[in-house]
Amino acid sequence: MAYTISDACIGCRACALICPATAISGEKKQLHFIDGQACIECGACGRVCPSGAVTDEFGLVLERIPKKEWERPYFDLSACLSCTVCLDTCPTGALTQERQKVGSTHLFPCLENEKLCIACGFCVQDCPVDAVTMGARQSAPPKEPVKAG
Amino acid sequence: MSAKGYMGKIMMVDLTQGIVEIETISPKVYESFLSGMGLAAHILFHRIPAGADPMGPENIIGFVSGLLTGTGSLFTGRWMVTALSPLTQGWGEANCGGSFSPAIKRCGVDGIFFKGTSPTPVYLYVDDKGARLKPAQEVWGKDAVETEELLKAAHKNAKVACIGQAGEKLSLISGVSTDKGRMAARSGLGAVMGAKNLKALVLAGKKRIPVHNREEIKRLSQICGKWVKFQPPFVPGWLTGPIGTLLRILPFVATQDGMLYKILLRKWGTVSMNQMSVEMGDSPIKNWKGSNSDWGFFKSFSSNPDAYVKAETEKFHCYSCPLGCGGICKTKGKFSETHKPEYETVLSFGGFVMNKDTDAIFYINELLNRAGMDTISAGHAVAFAMECYEKGIITLADTGGQALDWGDPAAVKFLTEKMVTREGIGDILADGVKLAAKRLGKEAQEMAIHCGGQEPAMHDSRNDPGFALHYSVEPAPGRHTNGAGLYYEMYQLWKKVKGVPKMGPGYLKSSKYKKNLNHARVGKANSEYLNVMNGAGACLFGGFLGAKRIRIFDWLNAAAGWNFTPEEYMEKGGNIQVIKQAFNVKHGIEPKANRAPDRILGLPPQVKGANKGRTVDVETMMADYWELFGWDRETGKPGKEIVDKILSIA
Repeated sequence: MAYTISDACIGCRACALICPATAISGEKKQLHFIDGQACIECGACGRVCPSGAVTDEFGLVLERIPKKEWERPYFDLSACLSCTVCLDTCPTGALTQERQKVGSTHLFPCLENEKLCIACGFCVQDCPVDAVTMGARQSAPPKEPVKAG
Repeated sequence: MSAKGYMGKIMMVDLTQGIVEIETISPKVYESFLSGMGLAAHILFHRIPAGADPMGPENIIGFVSGLLTGTGSLFTGRWMVTALSPLTQGWGEANCGGSFSPAIKRCGVDGIFFKGTSPTPVYLYVDDKGARLKPAQEVWGKDAVETEELLKAAHKNAKVACIGQAGEKLSLISGVSTDKGRMAARSGLGAVMGAKNLKALVLAGKKRIPVHNREEIKRLSQICGKWVKFQPPFVPGWLTGPIGTLLRILPFVATQDGMLYKILLRKWGTVSMNQMSVEMGDSPIKNWKGSNSDWGFFKSFSSNPDAYVKAETEKFHCYSCPLGCGGICKTKGKFSETHKPEYETVLSFGGFVMNKDTDAIFYINELLNRAGMDTISAGHAVAFAMECYEKGIITLADTGGQALDWGDPAAVKFLTEKMVTREGIGDILADGVKLAAKRLGKEAQEMAIHCGGQEPAMHDSRNDPGFALHYSVEPAPGRHTNGAGLYYEMYQLWKKVKGVPKMGPGYLKSSKYKKNLNHARVGKANSEYLNVMNGAGACLFGGFLGAKRIRIFDWLNAAAGWNFTPEEYMEKGGNIQVIKQAFNVKHGIEPKANRAPDRILGLPPQVKGANKGRTVDVETMMADYWELFGWDRETGKPGKEIVDKILSIA
């Protein structure tokens, strides 16, 4: 079930601008509309909506959260299998992979461009081995230094 | 829709009309044939008319994802391309990893099919707003890597599958490329895209992939992942040759646990088997006529895995793969970066043509990846030309003065480059050895090693008769990925499936060459299981972990909400085999015509080397195999009753 936009919409376009699936349409200062076929239920529209106009499939209003408080993915490299599922499932392409373990040529995921992350948590949901968690950015430990070779 | 792992729809693109339609597929089809190759077999059988020209508008080419792709299961990122093969004139299929498979499902469908022929070069672009055909003039003529880079620059976060120059030039040994060097190479399906003026698929959909029980899938993935992570230290590369020698000498064989191969794959990738395979008699030498003793231990040392892995700067993991057998290499010469050459490529351009120049192999690997040409078939074409040159069938006048001596890297590079550009002798060779021999005359027939038109891989059926069986009986013949005695050992199916042959801890090597029904029973189980794997989108190498460690059947139940037993899944694999065989019969293929050629069956037997004195009685094995499926023992054709029952499912 897709999300919907109620009459409370003020047409600010914040939701349309952030939607990674380009599922939202509407003119400025007019009621916006979510295409149910295209919506991927990432919830980004609700997190940015200033008027509490976005509701989920149960009719519950999605809570607006200031961007600086959005949780970010944290990767447990000891559990990670480098399988790239999280990279694929990320709807904004915010995740990349790089060498992060000393002496290993396997690449591991990282959030290179924080601005692209919409805190949807799909990487957490889809990780086959629960190696990804969402948390405040400060909770992520510093990266291990990487040696060439 | 309810969460079933599959998307429940396909996309049908009419290239002649420029129309894209979405079709809903009955859940019954998925329950009977799974998704992936099974779904494709179901669609193609019904929609490609008998007598269709593989290069004509009536042929349909399909790109399908697996049922388990994107569900959180591991090793299930394979995508498959399938059509009426212009190389074999029958069932055509090729299989590839990389990152393209989930991209198909993220467009909201399990498969994208193309019929008709576009009047001008086009590519298909799909995003959240839908699908449309776009002009491809700007990328037509570009190689696969350039094409992918240009299309990805034009379409943010898109995945690309495309043809290179080989497909455009309608080479019957061309394939479809993705991720700058992974290739669905076999059956000549790149030529079908070329004939349809279809340069690429560019997919940027973002649909979520629904599953029935994600937690159970994750639980099974955790089990599988732990086995993959188990990685004890292993011998250095230079010791793999002597291990192969030991395996050759020993009169008995320990039943192989796939964990050993997993350890090799994680350490080196497929090149791990190079020298070991040559030494033990698994890899054919000198166009199947030579032996390990002809190439010799010290020449084969050039193919030892460390020779390739030393250039590897990072591992390459396909989608949902925890293993990472691929690699990205920095190389000298024209190409600065390339995917690590695979086992098949190294030995097709190594011992098979007697070449020990590693740099030449790196170059040829990238050249063929960029052109989108099958390295196994291209290696056969080179070896074929060299033997023809040796016998005076090809002369200096035919090559413009270039000698074609065995093992000469300049000659190997010359022939490969000419095939890619289809110039001179290359134009004769670029459609595979069957047509090349036809063009050169009947004296060349003996040197053209193929099964129904498809050049077999670098696995010698005289070492493992299971290869001879599957090269001969599979609807897409000549393929090393469909089954072998060794594969069956590694699958360890008897630990999960009732009624399949059980294997003890070891056996005498000589027993592999004795006539018994077990060969056929093992072959049937191999075919059925691989069809299940291909329906699921699973990787063969993952399958080698063993059925108790990679829980394909359980994953399928968890993803789709089904409750089928392993035995029922094997039956579904059998259903798919029936469709593919019926497809061949419908298109005029006599199953017997795909039998492996005498030379690779040991007729006459070799007089020296690892496979000395060995002959494989493939006729008996084929007849037994067909009979076990309930097909005609003499002709290999499934009866009308069997076919009608399977085809009535819609």
